[in-house]
Amino acid sequence: MLAPLAASDYVLHVAVLSFIYLLPALGLNLVYGYAGLLSLATGAFFGIGAYASALLALRLGWPFWLALPAAGAVCALVAVPMAVPALRLRSYSFVMVTLGFLVISESVAKNWVGLTRGDMGLIDIPRPRLGGAALTSVPQLYYLMLGAAVLAALAFRTIVRSAAGRALVALRDDETLAAAYGIDTWRFKLAAFVLGALLAGLGGSLYAHYTAVLDPLVFDVFHTLTLLTIVFGGGAGTLHGVLLGTVVFLFVPEALRVTPQWRMVLYGLLLVVFVFRLPGGLGPALTRLGRRV
Amino acid sequence: MLGALVAWTVLDRLAWPYPAAVAVAVLTSAVLGFAVSRLLMERLLAMPFSMAVLATLGVQLALQNGAQLLWGASPKFFGGGWIAPVQVGGVGIVGQQLVIFLAAAVAFAGLAAVVRSTPLGRAMRAVAQNREACDVVGLDVERVVRVTFTLGVAFAGLAGALMAPILVNVGTTIGLPMVLRCFAIIVLGGVGSVPGAFAGGLILGVAESFVAGYLTLQLRDAVGFAILIAMLLVRPQGLFGVRVRS
Amino acid sequence: MSATPLLSVRGLAKRYGGVIALDGVDLDAAAGERLGIIGPNGSGKSTLFDCVTGLIAPDGGRVALDGRDVTARPLHWLAARGLVRSFQKTAVFGTLSLVDNLVAAGQARACGGTLAAFAGGGAAARRTAALTVRALGLLDALDLAPLAAAPAAAISFGQQKLLQFASCLMSEPRLVLLDEPLAGVNPLLVERLVAHIRRVNREAGTTFVIIEHNTDVLLGLCARVVVLARGRVLAAGAPDVIARDPRVIEAYLG
Repeated sequence: MLAPLAASDYVLHVAVLSFIYLLPALGLNLVYGYAGLLSLATGAFFGIGAYASALLALRLGWPFWLALPAAGAVCALVAVPMAVPALRLRSYSFVMVTLGFLVISESVAKNWVGLTRGDMGLIDIPRPRLGGAALTSVPQLYYLMLGAAVLAALAFRTIVRSAAGRALVALRDDETLAAAYGIDTWRFKLAAFVLGALLAGLGGSLYAHYTAVLDPLVFDVFHTLTLLTIVFGGGAGTLHGVLLGTVVFLFVPEALRVTPQWRMVLYGLLLVVFVFRLPGGLGPALTRLGRRV
Repeated sequence: MLGALVAWTVLDRLAWPYPAAVAVAVLTSAVLGFAVSRLLMERLLAMPFSMAVLATLGVQLALQNGAQLLWGASPKFFGGGWIAPVQVGGVGIVGQQLVIFLAAAVAFAGLAAVVRSTPLGRAMRAVAQNREACDVVGLDVERVVRVTFTLGVAFAGLAGALMAPILVNVGTTIGLPMVLRCFAIIVLGGVGSVPGAFAGGLILGVAESFVAGYLTLQLRDAVGFAILIAMLLVRPQGLFGVRVRS
Repeated sequence: MSATPLLSVRGLAKRYGGVIALDGVDLDAAAGERLGIIGPNGSGKSTLFDCVTGLIAPDGGRVALDGRDVTARPLHWLAARGLVRSFQKTAVFGTLSLVDNLVAAGQARACGGTLAAFAGGGAAARRTAALTVRALGLLDALDLAPLAAAPAAAISFGQQKLLQFASCLMSEPRLVLLDEPLAGVNPLLVERLVAHIRRVNREAGTTFVIIEHNTDVLLGLCARVVVLARGRVLAAGAPDVIARDPRVIEAYLG
């Protein structure tokens, strides 16, 4: 995309944020839209990935290109012991546990001052280096993040088109029936959850190295709610829905500099309205509209 | 949050006495609860659970941020309530805390009695156990939900108005930690058990104070959730709860 | 019979509070057999299937597959070993198309493992293609081919029952438990379905255990019939013997 040539730095910045956000959004889509698990933990893994990547770079001097996959791996590893017992629970208990995980992660980030510097946060997180030089300008990082977003979307598409994607949709539609045909529903739910955590963690790493500063606010429920709106409002269970959701519910409000309060009020009202009128999300609705035209 | 903020508005803007502020807070909460129930909760009965979570999350988002737009983001000083110290058995506490404890005791006793003995209470338990059977028997599930929800929101408003003097500064952010604690208490005590909620509340309160006093103040918020997660993993039905077939 | 029965149930019992659903049921299904199960409402037929397939934990008794104890094993474990069941109520994957429904039903056996299912690439594509061919063949046999791309939630109840039936066959199972496969199905298609059961039974040696209320069809299809009443086996034997048994007649009319 040639946007960097035309658009202002601020718009590019918003675009970069949108690219970064796409990763945890896809993660949540996988967990909720495909596996049918309503999880609020995506935001937690976003933050964990961000901190893991930042700390590896700051404390151990790891370059971005190593810290990124490591952050993803950390999240995937943390996701397993969390998910194994949690998946046994019924849906309302599961949601509470994921919310609890988010709260506890925030608490750890705030209080383990020795590791995370608490509320003072981490600064001077190194930017990604390419060919010996650090990428510091927004247009430079724009291309990097665009690439990351495209890769993530492609990976997502491969997963959901595979037999695993079909298995996830099957177990979301009727878990008992899926088991009756031999689908190991528990394993697939676990896999979806871990992959979702991985994606969120990678997004978190990108976030940390882009903004170069990090504090416990990354765990704020604001991010999780935005992600929920993007996925649910855009179209859970579809790729184009989440892409659309990211544009409509993140890029546009940020670019227009809508104040957070108004955004949240709108997200809130939107969630309510969509639950009743458009539970499939904007994406599928527009597709239906397009078909009729 | 709204209970506290409404009470503050009455106190500060209208200069009415504190008990009146509390009453207004409870009333407005009840009205709001009724409205939300009619417009939202009852219609969610037919939908899968995740939809209810998203819709109620949406309401919470809209209300909290709407409140911020109305009342402003900075916390307000709450001047009312009985904040004079009182001696109880050698321990000095604030008079308001005594009021809260008494109110809680009355509320719990009353609620327990309602749930156990009245037709409404029986209806509530029936809806919780098997909603389809209720339809078969002719029980108006929506009406039960309406009453229950309105009552619940009214209690929340009452709690907000009563807690306001203790919190001293009330703002739009006071709701979330409370809600998280509520989850923990309900899970700890057992979903659907009133004595369980009472016990859960006591246990959580003691645990939090313990952690805040002997470990660190900052971890207090996490205590509730740590307990919640532990309970869900070890004994999902809580201390007093009964395993219900879904 | 000298060979070990494919499915063996001994003393299966299940009670819900004061209600006894199963009261010590003994049952054998030989490999390659077409076994019918009939009985008045509430006699425990579906509960029997639920207990055999691990959906409900029985209070007592043993279930053996090929001589091996499989009591209370989970559903997907049994399916991986060739035991598939259908459900009385409508059970399809609503958002998937008919073809995808069938492919999903068959892929577990073909893929062999959760991790393998995530793979893209040539081998996976060939697997999916093979399953798709099978799926289209089954849809054709059941007159559902024109609806192949439609979402399963959009078709009628009877068509969904047929889809369920086809789904059961996708993984080429050894043993298929059918719970009222004919209920709600267009009478013209009932014959097709029955003929298909016969063919699969003959060609692939698949064992069928079928619960049905349509006793006429069942007695014509199955070589052996078991009658359940009040959670117990009332009678078992050849269809014409069963049809004349006074106890059976009484159980239905009394």
